[in-house]
Amino acid sequence: MASRLSRWIVRAASFLVPGGSRREWLDEWLGELDALDRLRTEAASPGRLPSLASFSLGAVPHAIWTMTEGWTMDSLYQDVKFGTRALIKLPGFTLVAALTLALGIGANASIFSLVNGLLFRSPAGIVAPDRLVQIARSYDQAPRWDNWSWPAMETIRREARTLSGVAGYQDQAFVLGSGVDAERIIGQVATGNYFELLGVRPQVGRLLRPDDDIQPGAHPVAVLSHSLWLRNFGGDPGVVGTTISLGSQPYEVVGVAPPGFTGVETVSTPPAVWVPTMQLPAMYGELPFDRWGWSWINVVGRMGEGATIEQTEASMDVVTARLREGDPVNEDIRVLVAQGIGLDPEGRQEARQVSAILMVIVGVVLVLTCTNVANLFLARAGGRRTEVGVRMALGAGRARLARQLVTESVLMGLLAAALAVPVVLGAGRFLPLVFPYTLAVPVGPDGTVFLFLTLVGVVAGLLFGLAPAWAGTRHAVAGALREGTSTGARSRNRLGNVLVVAQLALSLGLVTGAGLLGRSVMNARTAQPGFAPRGLVAGFVDLAGTGRYDQPAAMAAFERLHRAAEAIPGARTATLANQVPIAGGHTRATVRPAGRDDVDYEAELVVVGPAYFETMGIPVVQGRALGGFHDEPERVVVVNQALARMFWPGESAVGKELAAEPTNWRVVGVAGDVQMRSLRDEGRPAVYYPLSQRYSPYMAVTVRVEAGGSILASSLRETVASVDPGLPVASVIDLHEALSASLGETRTIGYLVGAFAVLALVLAAVGLYGLVSYGASQRVREMGIRMALGAEPASLVRLFLTRGIVIAVLGVGMGLAVSFGLGQALEGMLYGVGATDPGTVAVAVTVLLATAALAAWIPARRASRVDAAVSLRE
Amino acid sequence: MPRGLGITSLQILNAIRDGHAYGLDIVASTGLPSGTVYPTLGRLKRSGLVRASWEDQRRAEREGRPRRRYYDVTASGASALAEGAARVADLAAALAVRPEEA
Repeated sequence: MASRLSRWIVRAASFLVPGGSRREWLDEWLGELDALDRLRTEAASPGRLPSLASFSLGAVPHAIWTMTEGWTMDSLYQDVKFGTRALIKLPGFTLVAALTLALGIGANASIFSLVNGLLFRSPAGIVAPDRLVQIARSYDQAPRWDNWSWPAMETIRREARTLSGVAGYQDQAFVLGSGVDAERIIGQVATGNYFELLGVRPQVGRLLRPDDDIQPGAHPVAVLSHSLWLRNFGGDPGVVGTTISLGSQPYEVVGVAPPGFTGVETVSTPPAVWVPTMQLPAMYGELPFDRWGWSWINVVGRMGEGATIEQTEASMDVVTARLREGDPVNEDIRVLVAQGIGLDPEGRQEARQVSAILMVIVGVVLVLTCTNVANLFLARAGGRRTEVGVRMALGAGRARLARQLVTESVLMGLLAAALAVPVVLGAGRFLPLVFPYTLAVPVGPDGTVFLFLTLVGVVAGLLFGLAPAWAGTRHAVAGALREGTSTGARSRNRLGNVLVVAQLALSLGLVTGAGLLGRSVMNARTAQPGFAPRGLVAGFVDLAGTGRYDQPAAMAAFERLHRAAEAIPGARTATLANQVPIAGGHTRATVRPAGRDDVDYEAELVVVGPAYFETMGIPVVQGRALGGFHDEPERVVVVNQALARMFWPGESAVGKELAAEPTNWRVVGVAGDVQMRSLRDEGRPAVYYPLSQRYSPYMAVTVRVEAGGSILASSLRETVASVDPGLPVASVIDLHEALSASLGETRTIGYLVGAFAVLALVLAAVGLYGLVSYGASQRVREMGIRMALGAEPASLVRLFLTRGIVIAVLGVGMGLAVSFGLGQALEGMLYGVGATDPGTVAVAVTVLLATAALAAWIPARRASRVDAAVSLRE
Repeated sequence: MPRGLGITSLQILNAIRDGHAYGLDIVASTGLPSGTVYPTLGRLKRSGLVRASWEDQRRAEREGRPRRRYYDVTASGASALAEGAARVADLAAALAVRPEEA
């Protein structure tokens, strides 16, 4: 495999080598590759031997070197001058070609800019990010990538020999300010050495220090993010030393983080404020600092001088052993590390996949635009055949002429790249909006992106320039001087046919892809996720974040909130819940049947208020639903069918005891399964607890609207404000909307593929149009004769139309293969539709054929209207 | 007067003189990337410092592998190497003196 690929690289590169020495060049390279392949398989340790792939990549610079060896600066300058002149001479042609190409190049660079930000750019403001490691918790029996408890982080800090430091952080929601100005922000608690470890320098004042983070509650200090500082404090350096209110607690602002610093994660809400971990608000009335079983903090480390990632990985075995000794909950725990920051390994994998699909799609679009421009150049080459022929007759070498034509197209590519700059800048603003993740890093273009842009311009120039250069200089001497004969025209037409067939094939692929993704999003809108999403509106409130509520006060507030929500005009019922299907708040906890330890499961933990099942439209299939605030004096739960099946197969779950925190709960009902986190879940086991028996300060007020009605987000906010004006609502979610939004990647890629499919279709149609009208213009004389002899215009239309349709059918035939390939690549993103769905393919084929027929019919009809007398006189 | 040879060219010339006679062998012995070695060989050949010759077809067949292109240092290549070696030695000496001066 590797050897085939490298041979292919060498062969591809050999085309750059001038014909005279190509044979020798190829012999040498293939021979060496062969020798290397043998050596690598024979040698016990390949040691210094390069890999086949990297060795063969060297053929590319060598080929370029060989190609340019004979060039002198003079001739290059001549080519550039001549090329520029040729482009200026036909400004209309140049502009159309460059703009077409700019679309393709712009699309490529825009997507690359996104990929660059997501995968290759490290979060800003951090020194030597590749020396940092992410440290995660996993278990031998249940692999995962998860955060840590405080005692575990301390153990890592103590035992990890190769790390010079270990820091922890976690997102924390705060209510900033009070009264009507209160807003909910996402900040972070961070260990005192966090900024020091990352090497971040303050913009103003100072950052957190280790001595800020020793005693719980002792140092209420806060560091503002640069953007919060600009937004709320007008960028005033005097903010240092002032006091702000976070969760009703006063915090002294000690400094401002540098611009662009958003922590170590690429995909997250950028934190607005940092406070020491020791200021962590009590959760459920307790602090987590001595709890092994309470994992909440993300851990990063910095490798010490000279330490390698391999050594660091190895040293984690010791840490793993210490952790297992530390506490029984760590029984089969395992420490994982990953070098670098930004994305965790799974996220990186996912981002790579999405990026690869996007790059392939825009690559296809680029090829399409290149074929179109190649076609334009071909058409023009026809007009230049005389010029080329004369020059060749005067002794210009074919290679020299071809080089000059290629120089011209590379110039065109560069011009297009320049025109693409505004496209890329615009996309830098627009793309993050449709992107399915919240990005903490800017994905706008940077130097790398513009370098890429230029490179794509040059490659595109070569790509579309080579074919016309080859064709343009082929028959030059013999054919061109006898202007008006058809040999050259026919060869141009043949190449043109091939290009248009390829365009149609690629377009069909994209149209099918867009169709599949579009159907997935539509399927999501009509999905049956186990609850009734239409007419449900939810908004999260966080009473703990305000710092003003203890449990009894919170319960009273929730009761008032529930009553007020029910009273919203147009509301049918209302409830409260700590997590809302698809929308958020997701949390799980381990449960098992009481008295058994052979089975346990981390089930969805749902804390619910009154009328939950009724409001959500979740059927209770057995037993009863849960009652209101004062109706549940005992610890009772409702479980879903998946959990009942798992724990008590073949029996009724009602009446069984479920062991969960803090003790046993009696099952009083069984509810239908719900796709809690995503439409791609099957209904996972879930347990519903009454709010009156299991407190949660973070709840979503959820309202079901009367059939056909709607509720404005603002009325839900007003309702919350009427209960507590200082209680911000995180976001108001329409669950029906959330369903299709939950297929985020599918929707984003669907938009992009859809847009590109339209572009591709237009390009292919223009290509076909050009082909047919060119063919017609070549045969004007023949038309005239035919008409003079009495041919009907309709039969002439048929003549050209048939030609167009034959090309379209060929394109469709090849396009089916492209469609199936693209469908396979997109499979993971589809929902409720197969990768080779015949209906979608049929629709795509119809769209393509209809477009092609139209594109061929217009020039065909025009051709049939030629005036016989005029055409014969020409 | 032509500019003296760079370190990479010297390294490659030296490898050839030491009997690493074909491209892959030079890549493996110097550890330089192939994309550097081959163009450099081309340059050295053009300026007459090395000679390239194709191995005898029969010999390659006997050993059951493709024909190799062997490189050989010419007389002017040898003197350029000697001149370069002297220059590098001077430079190395100069560099070695530096810390004591500081």
